[in-house]
Amino acid sequence: MFVLSFLLRRLLQGSLIILLVIFIIFTLLRVVPGDPARLIVGGMAPDAVVAMKAKELGLDRPIPIQFLSYLSDLATGDLGTSFVRPKSGASLGGSAFDDSTREDRAKVLDLILGTLPMTLQLAALSLAIALSVAVPLGTLGGLHPGRWPDKLALGLGSICVSTPNFWLGIVLTLFLSVKLKLLPAIGYRGFSYTILPAIVLAVEIIPFILRTLTVSVAQVMREEFIQIAPIRGLTRSRTVLLHALGNAAIPLVNLLGVQLGMLLGGVLVVEFIFDYPGLGLLTINAVLQRDFPLIQGIAIFISVMFVAINILVDLIAMTIDPRLEY
Amino acid sequence: MSDPILAVSNLGVDLQREGRIKRIVDNVSFALQPGEVLGLVGEAGSGKSVLARALVRAIAPPLEIVSGKVVFEGRDILSLDPRALARVRGNRIGFIGANPMGSLDPRLPIGQQIVEKLRSVQPEIGRAEARDRVLDFFGRVRIPSPSARFHEAPFQFSGGMMQRVMIVDALVSDPSLVIADNITQPLDVTVAAQIIRLIDGLRQSLNTAFLFISSSLPVVAQLAERTLVMQRGQIVEQGLTSELAANPRQPYTRTLLSRIPPIWKDVMAPTATDGEAVLKVDNVVRTYFVRRRGSFNAYNQVQAVRGVSFTVKAGENFGIVGESGCGKSTLTRLLAWLEQPDGGRIAFLGKDLSHLSAHSLTEMRKSFQLLLQDPYGSLPAGMPLLRMIEEPLLIHGFDRAEAARRAQEAMIEVGLDAELAHRLPVGLSAGQRQRINIARALVLRPRLLILDETLSALDQVEQAELLDLFNRLQATYGFSYVFISHDLALVRRMCHRIAVMYLGRIVELADNTTLFEQPHHPYTRALLSAMPTLEHNHFPHTRYLLDGEPPSPIDLPLGCSFRSRCPRAENDCQKTDPPLLALAGGNYAACLHRHEKETADVE
Ligand code: SF4
Repeated sequence: MFVLSFLLRRLLQGSLIILLVIFIIFTLLRVVPGDPARLIVGGMAPDAVVAMKAKELGLDRPIPIQFLSYLSDLATGDLGTSFVRPKSGASLGGSAFDDSTREDRAKVLDLILGTLPMTLQLAALSLAIALSVAVPLGTLGGLHPGRWPDKLALGLGSICVSTPNFWLGIVLTLFLSVKLKLLPAIGYRGFSYTILPAIVLAVEIIPFILRTLTVSVAQVMREEFIQIAPIRGLTRSRTVLLHALGNAAIPLVNLLGVQLGMLLGGVLVVEFIFDYPGLGLLTINAVLQRDFPLIQGIAIFISVMFVAINILVDLIAMTIDPRLEY
Repeated sequence: MSDPILAVSNLGVDLQREGRIKRIVDNVSFALQPGEVLGLVGEAGSGKSVLARALVRAIAPPLEIVSGKVVFEGRDILSLDPRALARVRGNRIGFIGANPMGSLDPRLPIGQQIVEKLRSVQPEIGRAEARDRVLDFFGRVRIPSPSARFHEAPFQFSGGMMQRVMIVDALVSDPSLVIADNITQPLDVTVAAQIIRLIDGLRQSLNTAFLFISSSLPVVAQLAERTLVMQRGQIVEQGLTSELAANPRQPYTRTLLSRIPPIWKDVMAPTATDGEAVLKVDNVVRTYFVRRRGSFNAYNQVQAVRGVSFTVKAGENFGIVGESGCGKSTLTRLLAWLEQPDGGRIAFLGKDLSHLSAHSLTEMRKSFQLLLQDPYGSLPAGMPLLRMIEEPLLIHGFDRAEAARRAQEAMIEVGLDAELAHRLPVGLSAGQRQRINIARALVLRPRLLILDETLSALDQVEQAELLDLFNRLQATYGFSYVFISHDLALVRRMCHRIAVMYLGRIVELADNTTLFEQPHHPYTRALLSAMPTLEHNHFPHTRYLLDGEPPSPIDLPLGCSFRSRCPRAENDCQKTDPPLLALAGGNYAACLHRHEKETADVE
């Protein structure tokens, strides 16, 4: 019952946020320069053809009307059709305006859903790498503040923070892929192609986890209930693993929710560097090509994900800590 | 005499910090017989808590055990290997601390945590058996509906209930010794009295020995046959508790005793001269709305203050007492006009505060000042002392020269050294900081000072000095004071008239003598009887002590709100909510069956 009312409230809030995002994105895209109709038919097409295309797409109508019709399409799950991309996948440039393949354009939703699993796989792997490095080290650092594990955690964190991801991407490709031929780097032809980008992404996440965890573990260790646990008869391993880590995890979970935006930014760059066919690469290409429907679709999709993940994070935090209430 | 269960000899603990060594526990020796309750008293900082931890070898750097033996059940705890130590701590020796709310993992159900503890120290006990045992103990410490509360997390308990939980935690492994370190200190007096009574009952049925530590001799005297007095790490005197209290041999014990404020014996209740009304509170109501847990948009009404009326006259000390949750902190915020009442009015010097313009309210604010308990948090940081005291004047638009002059005067007045004027307030004692606070209030020449637990963080000596200061200021300027406090002894010493609050209402309002010697309301009698005293308590536990805890202010019982705990409740109390009736001598009480003629039990 409690969970239900919580979900209801959060979903309402979430839909409001999403609606706002849709509105902002839509308006922004209408006011930036660049004529989408011209893009679709190609640079060589005569003006009459461009105007016809604009009319066909409804681009000549007043913006509020366009917005409403877009909303009603969205409500039926239709995110629109890409301006530029054909179903076959390759993007079209300025070829002839009467090319017949142009008509068969890809649905935005299909494009997004097609690339999403790739990005999720990348995100999951990098999160796994980051957690498996940062959780043990961060915990150790928090248990021995001021001693070497703490210093190691601090040092590693600073190095990770100050490493630019594009540089690291290039260096890793050079060594692991070109010199040592251990891992493939560019494109995607199997799971092993995910590893390098995931490492680069993990390096970006690690410092945040490290810092939060060392601080929160150190803080929890000073709490009365941890201090008196040995007097109550609990063993140290039990105290640390069950009670200290359990309590220290709460800020960590919240942080992961908050840092989501940063993660997504990282995904953009990393996918671009490695030419990894995920949502990030799709986004960059959509922007470069002024593919309005696709940009809109991705932005809305991401805001929905954001809202969903934040709700999920809060639910997880609530199961870890029953005191939390929303 | 049988063999002692615990024999401590020459125990020493050092504190090492920045190359300096300070002795915290100094050559302490004592013994404890099976089933005995041994008291240990000493002021804050006397080393008693460190001693308590040293007994179970829970000493970590910068503290270090440097000498001695702690022989428990025939073996020296200080030389046990870790596995043997683990079989003693939490198993044969239980430990209860002063912070029940922080003693368990805040996320997990308390029952589960006690089962975890029991099975850690006694792995042979099965899960189901451990659970039954914990539930059985919950019943024995009288936690209502044990099987439901088993699954609740610490934050769902009150401090008193949580202390019962911690008693179970200590006793569940059937230890032969329990170390109880200041366990009643954070609790309200009626709840603390219940805990003491509970421990008294339990130790008789379990035959467990207790080391009962407290900073207050009257508290220790309730339980302990023998008592140790500790000063600066040493045991300076020990003996039968009653002997100690009656014929102290050491000067330190005598000082300790002299600082215990008398309640009945040889007290002169202060009497006020009649003055004009300074503060008039008329039927004030304050209700908060809190979202109901687990609901979408349902709200609970918390009736924090329900129709409170009283008047404070010029030159009068008015006391407001009550236990946590009685609404006195909300009332404080209303009096200081930090919050406005939902109903009723508060008039200061004849003017209704809610009708004043913003400007005249600022003017008016100079005349009533609030002094908080925590002198650390309520001072602006990073300013030299004199500047700090000038600040309120500058805010109220005085020019610099005048402000500086008044601030200097105020510093002298409150007894702050003139040398301190240009120093930052680092390294000042709590008492000195409180003086800064008083000076800051004083420079504005107020008519009324509201003291919200202002003195409760101070030790007895500092407290006494500040009370003298308050009296002096009153004689010079004719201040009125409102003392909001849980400390009955303080109120007894200072206040002319006293209001007792329970669940947002005044249940009794009387002059000092009537309230302490012949109170009319059963709750007042219960409060008095719960006070730990060395002198003969006029209201014996057996007749007046309460059970249970106050109901939640969200769903108040119909009729008299004290009914659920009242020893005198009768049928009509369920229907009629007793009004605050005027009695002879300008006193008031809200009870249908109030105590009338029967005076206190005086020997
Ligand atoms: S009215 Fe009844 S229940 Fe209330 S205090 Fe008096 S006797 Fe007790």
